[in-house]
Amino acid sequence: MEYLTRDQVRAQVIDLLKSAREDFDSSIQITDQTGLFHDLGFESIDAIGLSSTLEGTFDQTLPFPEFMNRAKREQWKDITLGNLLDFLMANLNRSAERVAA
Amino acid sequence: MSQCLIFGLDGATFTILDGLMETGVMPNLKRFAEEGAHGKLMSVKPPLTPPAWTTLVTGRTPGHHGVCGFFQYNSPESSSIQIVGSRQVRAETMWAMVNRQGKRSGCLNFVAHNPAPKIDGWALPGWVSWRWMKSLSHPAGVVEKLAAEIPGFDVKILAMDYEEERKAIVGSGIDDHEAWIQLHISREKQWFETLKRLQSTQPVDLAGIVFDGVDKLQHLLWGYLDPRIAPSNPSPEYQRTRAAALEYFRTIDLLLGEAMELFRDWTILICSDHGFTNSWEILFINMWLEQAGYLTWAAGTEKTENPAEMEPSLYHLNAFDMDKTTAYALTTSSNGIYINVKGKKGDFGIDPADYGRFRDELAARIANEIRDPATGESIVTGIATREEAFHGPAMDLAPDLTLQLRDFGFVSVRRSNGILANRENPFGTHHPEGILFARGPGIRAGAKIEPTRLLDIAPTTLFAMGLDIPADLEGRVIEELYEPAYLSEHAAKRGATTAAVQADTTAEVPDEDADILAKMQALGYLE
Repeated sequence: MEYLTRDQVRAQVIDLLKSAREDFDSSIQITDQTGLFHDLGFESIDAIGLSSTLEGTFDQTLPFPEFMNRAKREQWKDITLGNLLDFLMANLNRSAERVAA
Repeated sequence: MSQCLIFGLDGATFTILDGLMETGVMPNLKRFAEEGAHGKLMSVKPPLTPPAWTTLVTGRTPGHHGVCGFFQYNSPESSSIQIVGSRQVRAETMWAMVNRQGKRSGCLNFVAHNPAPKIDGWALPGWVSWRWMKSLSHPAGVVEKLAAEIPGFDVKILAMDYEEERKAIVGSGIDDHEAWIQLHISREKQWFETLKRLQSTQPVDLAGIVFDGVDKLQHLLWGYLDPRIAPSNPSPEYQRTRAAALEYFRTIDLLLGEAMELFRDWTILICSDHGFTNSWEILFINMWLEQAGYLTWAAGTEKTENPAEMEPSLYHLNAFDMDKTTAYALTTSSNGIYINVKGKKGDFGIDPADYGRFRDELAARIANEIRDPATGESIVTGIATREEAFHGPAMDLAPDLTLQLRDFGFVSVRRSNGILANRENPFGTHHPEGILFARGPGIRAGAKIEPTRLLDIAPTTLFAMGLDIPADLEGRVIEELYEPAYLSEHAAKRGATTAAVQADTTAEVPDEDADILAKMQALGYLE
């Protein structure tokens, strides 16, 4: 499995987020500090679709429920793109690491 | 070579359809029955949409395909719950089986199909919100293409609207039934337009489509549909709402009539994943578990104000104090009870060595102690262990006990003031007896057959297409659908076993959970 860099993952996730928001204002700059819910207007139910989409895109099962539960339990004010990338980077390359090992 | 269409009517039941055929609301279905064979189609246990449809498309029982309910634990050891999707399906689907044999397939609006399987053909999943329909469908760009090609196509109508779906679950509070029914009529028409467009531009040999408004309408409007509980002197409001509901079934019938023409030479199987019936009471199962000493509510878990109100949400992850709870029901629709075994998800629970005795005792107490206070009748009429309901390699994901109630209703998992309450209004609930109608080459005209099983649909579909039937499918070809002469000329061919499906790597999840938590702690996101 190919090792993915954070920049590669960021580019793919931003494309997915824009695709999900067909009314997306293209002038909005999405950064690692952008909040999925407050800034991009996603609703809590969108987390389910986002989870499936990420798993499909990266062809890998992700412990997304645990990620969301922790965010709720720790009372994060929002989930930023940076949070999401941290989560993805911690998981996506595990297979590649196992292969490399 | 024969081709096959699965025309799915989620939750359809003869209790409703018989009357609609007799009274002229569904003339095409009546004609279909005359031109083909029909009978009851028995669902899985419990008769619930995700495990049932997944059994239909895989030909495997839930313990083998791995979908036990709408929600399930990531792994036996995990405390995380996920909504089931295609990654939880551990068995090969019919769509893939026919691909392996050189045929193309397409499926529309099936549950547990997100992300869409990458089949040779097309797949638009069900139970997906509109924002994600594009990225979860297959092949890439298919939704955008449909939007460009079908006049009036709107993914917001096609896809699931969770707020609207919640109305079907909540069962009350709808001011305008007619608008809600119209929404479902528009949805079904658009799904059918999608089928027509895809079949005309990217033809397949096996196509499947599910119309899930049948289930939604029956949940919410059962009192207006079930002739057994029709009022003797119906109010104008009743008459208007019933008329609107019948318009939905009229629409389904029109779509069926069109399908009968478009797929004239195909085998068409009209199937439901389960039947329906009337639920009149609510069992607050966690209240009984609390009173019986098995469950402690977490601090702050609120009691419901209105006992007749249905579930405000489908699962209550944080409702229980898991350090003081040995048994709990997690979701309403699965009617399942989980036993907290020490060392499995946490440090508290029953001793693993005591599991068998504990479970037997719990089952016996449920059967003996949960009774109608007026009549003494048992409320729980069936209790299945996970070995009985979910035998197979995925069994450890399933509830330890699965209950069937005397009215076939869903348990409530909420905290309330009592154990039992009557519903204010009739509420449609799932029943094990679904429907099967079949028409096509070799199928007997006007035949009524004995009940068959969801498990039998996959082998029967492959037989109808003249394809090999994998040896490990658990069902059988429904030969009684066919003329004897046809059977003598077309022998069922058992082939190799199904192709291995890369299952969700559940065994690794605990490590990944621990690892992700450690990494998140290192990153400063967790204490």
